[in-house]
Amino acid sequence: MEKTLRKYFPLFALPALICFALSFLIPMVWGFILSFCEFTTITDATFVGFKNYVRAFTVDNYFTGAFWFTLGFTIVTVISINILAFTIAMILTKNVPGTNAFRTIFFMPNLIGGIVLGWIWQVVLNGVLAGFEQTLLSNAKYGFWGLVILMNWQNVGYMMVIYIAAIQNISSDMLEAASIDGADGKTTLFKIIIPSVMPSITICLFLTLTNGFKLYDQNLALTNGAPNHQTEMLALNIFNTFYSRTGFEGVGQAKAVMFTIIVAAIALIQLIATRSREVEN
Amino acid sequence: MAQVARKSTKWILFIILLIVAAVIIFPILVVLMNSFKANLFISSTGAFKLPDSQSFVGLANYFNGADRINFFSAFGYSLWITIASVACILLLTSMLAWYITRVKGKVTSAIYYLLVFSMIVPFQMVMFTMSKFANMIHLDNPVGIIVLYVGFGCGMSTFMFSGFIKSIPLALEEAAMIDGATPVRTFFSVVLPMLKSTAITIAILETMWVWNDYLMPYLVIGTEYRTIPVAIQYLRGGYGSVDMGAMMAMLVLAMIPVIVFFLTCQKYIIKGVLAGAVKG
Amino acid sequence: MKKALSIMLIALIALSSVFANGASESSGKTEVYFLNFKPEIADVYTNVVEPAFEAAYPQYDLKVVTAASNQYQTTLRSELEKAAPPVIFQVNGPVGVQENVNTVAPLQDTDYYSLLADKSMALTLEGNVVGVPYAVEGYGIIYNDAIMRKYFALPDKAVSISSAEEITNFETLKAVVEDMSKHLDELGIQGVFASTSFMPGSEWRWTTHLVNPALWAEFGDLATAQAAKEFQFTASENFKNIFDLYLNNSITAKGMVGARADADSMAEFALGQVAMVQNGNWAAAQILGTAGNTVADEDIKFLPLYMGLDGEENYGICVGTENYLAFNKNASPEALEGADVFLTWLFSSDEGKAIVTNDLMFITPFSSFSADEVPDDPLARQVNIWMNKDGITSVPWVFNGIPSEQWKADFAQAMLEYINGNYTWDQVTKVAQDAWAREAELAGR
Repeated sequence: MEKTLRKYFPLFALPALICFALSFLIPMVWGFILSFCEFTTITDATFVGFKNYVRAFTVDNYFTGAFWFTLGFTIVTVISINILAFTIAMILTKNVPGTNAFRTIFFMPNLIGGIVLGWIWQVVLNGVLAGFEQTLLSNAKYGFWGLVILMNWQNVGYMMVIYIAAIQNISSDMLEAASIDGADGKTTLFKIIIPSVMPSITICLFLTLTNGFKLYDQNLALTNGAPNHQTEMLALNIFNTFYSRTGFEGVGQAKAVMFTIIVAAIALIQLIATRSREVEN
Repeated sequence: MAQVARKSTKWILFIILLIVAAVIIFPILVVLMNSFKANLFISSTGAFKLPDSQSFVGLANYFNGADRINFFSAFGYSLWITIASVACILLLTSMLAWYITRVKGKVTSAIYYLLVFSMIVPFQMVMFTMSKFANMIHLDNPVGIIVLYVGFGCGMSTFMFSGFIKSIPLALEEAAMIDGATPVRTFFSVVLPMLKSTAITIAILETMWVWNDYLMPYLVIGTEYRTIPVAIQYLRGGYGSVDMGAMMAMLVLAMIPVIVFFLTCQKYIIKGVLAGAVKG
Repeated sequence: MKKALSIMLIALIALSSVFANGASESSGKTEVYFLNFKPEIADVYTNVVEPAFEAAYPQYDLKVVTAASNQYQTTLRSELEKAAPPVIFQVNGPVGVQENVNTVAPLQDTDYYSLLADKSMALTLEGNVVGVPYAVEGYGIIYNDAIMRKYFALPDKAVSISSAEEITNFETLKAVVEDMSKHLDELGIQGVFASTSFMPGSEWRWTTHLVNPALWAEFGDLATAQAAKEFQFTASENFKNIFDLYLNNSITAKGMVGARADADSMAEFALGQVAMVQNGNWAAAQILGTAGNTVADEDIKFLPLYMGLDGEENYGICVGTENYLAFNKNASPEALEGADVFLTWLFSSDEGKAIVTNDLMFITPFSSFSADEVPDDPLARQVNIWMNKDGITSVPWVFNGIPSEQWKADFAQAMLEYINGNYTWDQVTKVAQDAWAREAELAGR
């Protein structure tokens, strides 16, 4: 069969691969090369070595600022989203009335797109802050916590669904045995439940981690980096470098390469973590 | 988990959940309420006040906003791009996945790893070159962008399909081929039907992505053909002013299809999320 | 199933070829693509200009696309790289020309250029005319004279003058404004000045317009500003004078300025909630178009931007242009000819001129327009009055010499930090100086 099928490469594999090459592979390689060039149009570039990479840090300090902001944001959201999602999942697996309705409501924000979400929260947060005669632009802290709240609102439901499935998979025998042995709630939680859902925790940690790092739409619609680039995350900073300054396309591309390396590193760590877990099992 | 909580605890938990649900729904209600108020009464101080005789404008924001950003054409573009992209992704990547899973070799495994790699790379890496290149080769229209979506959706969807195909026994396919069926026939009559549940999962995940995607349609076709997220962002009108009334109304209109989609396909969506999480 | 799929694929391919080449070429008309800068009049182009021009010249297909606010440069750059790029586009002055050196076409032989009354207003590049202005604009402090009359009629007013026209320097302006702030209830207003809008995208009234007199005081003229490697911001204190006056006598608390767009400011003015707002004649439509507008046409007047500069008694409002049209030299000769035909039609035919004055509401710099062919809105008339006042020199637009958009963005953010109490004014001044030096160097000065 393999032999016959092999001849069908143009029919089965080629269409998708052409799309893949056109939209991803060629632009990716091209972009990588351009990160070492100075250019305003992609067909007219001169090689400049690592100049763009240096300029990414020297012309203004927004890129490093964006990195720290993104990192801080990601750490806070990873922790808060997972704790909230796990807690709600625990409650929802205790046969509380209306469980299904609650699950539906909690999950819903996840489907709303980032741009729409950003605007929704801009109205709500500015409305709250107006009580104190402030706005999201008054202080970078508001933008930071605004983004954190928004991100929690959007992602808790998603992670909750994953945790619920994991908790429901824990065998009831094990829990019964624990309660017969007289284990209290705390012991059950830390000795049985959490170890059993560890794979899901790993998954959720990495999902929230990459979501946080790559955030763009919400950032654009909520604060657009204001005030003074202080709430500008990496993805937005890269976009602004590309499109709002003439002559900075190369710098933008260099930043994009560095951004890719960071995100790829996170993914690699995830892969290793998943692998080692599989070995343990 | 069969552990049953005591009755009083249960009610406390119920009340906690009610509060959380209220927090979740609150922003949506604020937007809905403000969509009936005149522009001037929304900005900041008045955001939480119910519409009164002075601020209530009926559906004026809806008409005004839909007219200004051409909402229904945006809806049309969003719908077309989403449906066409997802259909093409499903068809083309299931074929690709079958091919690279069943044909072993250096080339196919190289393709596989490239596709996995593409899932990791953030969009910012390719956005500039991709949007310029798309224009050079005339993909900057509502049909061409589907090619781009297939290319970007390729990674995850091929990965998930091939994960599933690996788990189905070769015997069925081989039997069909021995009976004289061509690979094309084998694929469509034997393999494809078995992929149904994976395909639904993938369709859900890709739909959520394409429908809400902002940057790609903005960069590639945004000046002429605006999808809903792009159109909404364009409501920032002349010299940075925003007609908040129209904005609220458009946010409501943008959320309606999503909520309808969610309530009708909830079961599949949650399944899809779970499957996607395990694989991704 | 297979059949359905193949039909779908074929349909897709067919459709894409239609999209790729069909639309523009099949009609046999020459497409004239104009990328419009002004979102506030986008509808006029689509609904009035396009049909009228195509009726007059059926061989052309006029396509006007409008960029979203603050997105013009971005849109222009991506559009210029496309297979069917804009033929007519806007440059906002010499900086815009520099950004498009490889695109701008020579215009000295066009009919459009020959319409220009004062040829020195055109932009040049290496001896070629490359940008021709199409609208002259003026800005200053717009005030509601009805409220001012009410104030000057107050028995306990703290100033000796008796009409707004007697305000000729910052000292008087400040005295009047601060005294008005004490009489808000009697005047029926909530603040003297409209919101100092700092919503993202709404900072331009301060970063370009308000800073203009300070730039003029330091550089003297546009050419010097354009070449300047450094900006000392010698008039920093003057700028702070008026900026503080705006902030301290505003309808909006300082902390809230980030939630206000310039459109909000104009609405506040139109609704009679404030007496003054800084803006230009292009804002007339915003005032007149506000539902519930309470300001009578004849009460809408201009004051110059007084900030305590030497000799400001003799300064008028800021008059100039940042609206230049350029042609794309990479377009086809037919399209370039069409562009010239279109603009000449618009600015010299009776039909075109009527649209320009009544619908687009431009005060034009063209000899084809007579003195009474100015837009019939109160602010355009005011601009004319100020331009022709005896002994008054209009302040030219020097802000076109600002080295880059980034300078404006940095300056805006610094001002916002000042408003929020995180920066001292000295820090704002320093940002303005440093950013100028950096951006001037990047611009190759």
